[in-house]
Amino acid sequence: MAQDDEAGTGVPASRRRGNRRSVGQPGLLLVAPALVLIVLFFVVPAAQVFVTAVWGGDGFTLTHLHRAVAEPVYGRVLWRTVEISLIATLACLLVGYPVAYYLAQQPERTRQRLLFLVLVPFWMSILVRSFAWMAVLGRQGPVNGFLQWTGLTDAPVQLLFTTGAVALAMVQILLPFMILTCLNVMLAIDPNLTRAARAHGATPLTAFLRVFLPLSAPGVMAGAVLVLILAMGFFVTPLLLGGPRNQMLGNLIVTQIGDTVNWGFAAALALLLLLATLVLIPLTRLVVGRGAGSTGRVAP
Amino acid sequence: MKTIKYLIAAAAGVVGLTAASARAQEVVVAGAGGVLAQVTKDVFETPFTAKTGIKVRAVAADNYLARMKAMQQTGNIEWDLTEATPETYPVMVKNGWLEPLDWSKLDPKNEQPASARATHGVASAVYSTVLAFRTDKLPAGKTMASWADFWDVKTFPGPRSLQDTPVRNLEFALLADGVPPGDLYKVLATADGVDRAFRKLDAIKPHVTTWWKGAAQPIQLLASGEVNYATTFNGRVSALQADKVPVEMMWNGGSLNVQYVVIPKGAKNVANAYEYLKATYLDPERDAEFTKKIKYPNLDPRTLKHLPEDLGRAMPTHPDNVKAQFTFDGGFWSERLEAMQERWAKWLLQ
Repeated sequence: MAQDDEAGTGVPASRRRGNRRSVGQPGLLLVAPALVLIVLFFVVPAAQVFVTAVWGGDGFTLTHLHRAVAEPVYGRVLWRTVEISLIATLACLLVGYPVAYYLAQQPERTRQRLLFLVLVPFWMSILVRSFAWMAVLGRQGPVNGFLQWTGLTDAPVQLLFTTGAVALAMVQILLPFMILTCLNVMLAIDPNLTRAARAHGATPLTAFLRVFLPLSAPGVMAGAVLVLILAMGFFVTPLLLGGPRNQMLGNLIVTQIGDTVNWGFAAALALLLLLATLVLIPLTRLVVGRGAGSTGRVAP
Repeated sequence: MKTIKYLIAAAAGVVGLTAASARAQEVVVAGAGGVLAQVTKDVFETPFTAKTGIKVRAVAADNYLARMKAMQQTGNIEWDLTEATPETYPVMVKNGWLEPLDWSKLDPKNEQPASARATHGVASAVYSTVLAFRTDKLPAGKTMASWADFWDVKTFPGPRSLQDTPVRNLEFALLADGVPPGDLYKVLATADGVDRAFRKLDAIKPHVTTWWKGAAQPIQLLASGEVNYATTFNGRVSALQADKVPVEMMWNGGSLNVQYVVIPKGAKNVANAYEYLKATYLDPERDAEFTKKIKYPNLDPRTLKHLPEDLGRAMPTHPDNVKAQFTFDGGFWSERLEAMQERWAKWLLQ
């Protein structure tokens, strides 16, 4: 929902313009089923949720929104949600970009095989993977076993129920999204451009920094935004792997829906989460865009 | 847009028709899935259908409160019977989501104890929230016997886990602080009492490595040795022991919880639901059969008489075990949950 054409599709501008011309009435018909589905099962229910935040049994009310903003604990949890989401996004970027770059350089068949490996984790549910991390990072798990075997520690180290554990598991879950989005854009970059830079005397590093990196920036941006949005809504992973300070806003919303059945307030918290995400998206694009694009523009 | 509206209406009509005709002689029972569903089917549902000809449609459910609210809001009552925990029962009653029960029909001979005859629910399962511990992680020659021991991190070092909720943890904290079980809710009803409980929790907080949310978590944490001590439910401890994990539980200071089976307001097969209740939870012999498989008995003292002596002792309702515990007050919490949750979230972040 967040990516507009400019950042999201990774399709070069020239090709996009070509597409737009061919979209006429039959094109609209093609998207109609999807549109109806989205409106009926996403837009309408989502709107209902937000109406719940301000419309209770006694008519219009701002109490829920006021409580969500005025009571500092929700702001603090929101901040932690943002914090861990940004950490996960940054880590995904640092790990995922080089992988995508490597994949983009491979011949088609090798790339297909390697891509398959990237996608394997998708076959397992997030719940199963979170439990697997519990086993791996546990006091009697292999990591602690190794640390004690090498004599680096005498007693088990507390790896589980820490911010690090949550971030690690989130990165593992979100990494494929980053890799696929970046790869998609990288494959659309004409390799001759880098070659041309090299032919004009640029070192491999300069050619990468000044030609490839800026051209792949839309993919980086799209990947970062996608990962960030997904990260903000996480709650199973912090629930199972995090400590008391790793509560995310999603966890508090679940409590309000299931335990206190205060749906108005749950909706207010959901609205808070959505607003924070909407603010973060342009910010992310600004930061990432500047980082990747600052080394210079590519002359056509 | 109009066409779509008619299509949806027509589709809903078809679904509704088939559902209505299928429901002619049935009762829809919503409960937890898994082992519980299997035992319920074998002990309750199959014999009931054989006797009465009424079909039982069991549906696995969770998030009962949220679903009950949604059903009442939309007017589409899908269940005839469902579970209400000691926490959720008062909320459902307060919101008017339940059919009031006619006990002259349910228990015409007046055989059930007064405690089992709730206005809107049949006391169906009594379970305990207890402290469980790994016996192999205890210091030599020592065992945990009270909540004060749980707080004594010098004698009993090691990681601990409690549920991520103020409910029952404040009670446990006050017990550890020396409040007699009979005075728990009197003390907790005062602001000073709540402060006292939170202060006591401050002391144990650094030693609680994780605050569990789902019922499966403490069992997994104990089984994997991730924590040495955790609160959990008595039935789950039995399951762990059956798996040869060296765990034991402490009845002392446990929370005795009464769960109810309730009829949602506007349920479609109320008469069948009454028949089902009479043939299952209100029949001590049937309930004893259930209890042999899952140690959550009803409140009827006759149920224990149908059980072997040693099994009876392992029940939360055995007189010795009842004496060791306090009776959880769901009504007390339903009044305060919202505010306490907020304070709890704040406290956890500190």
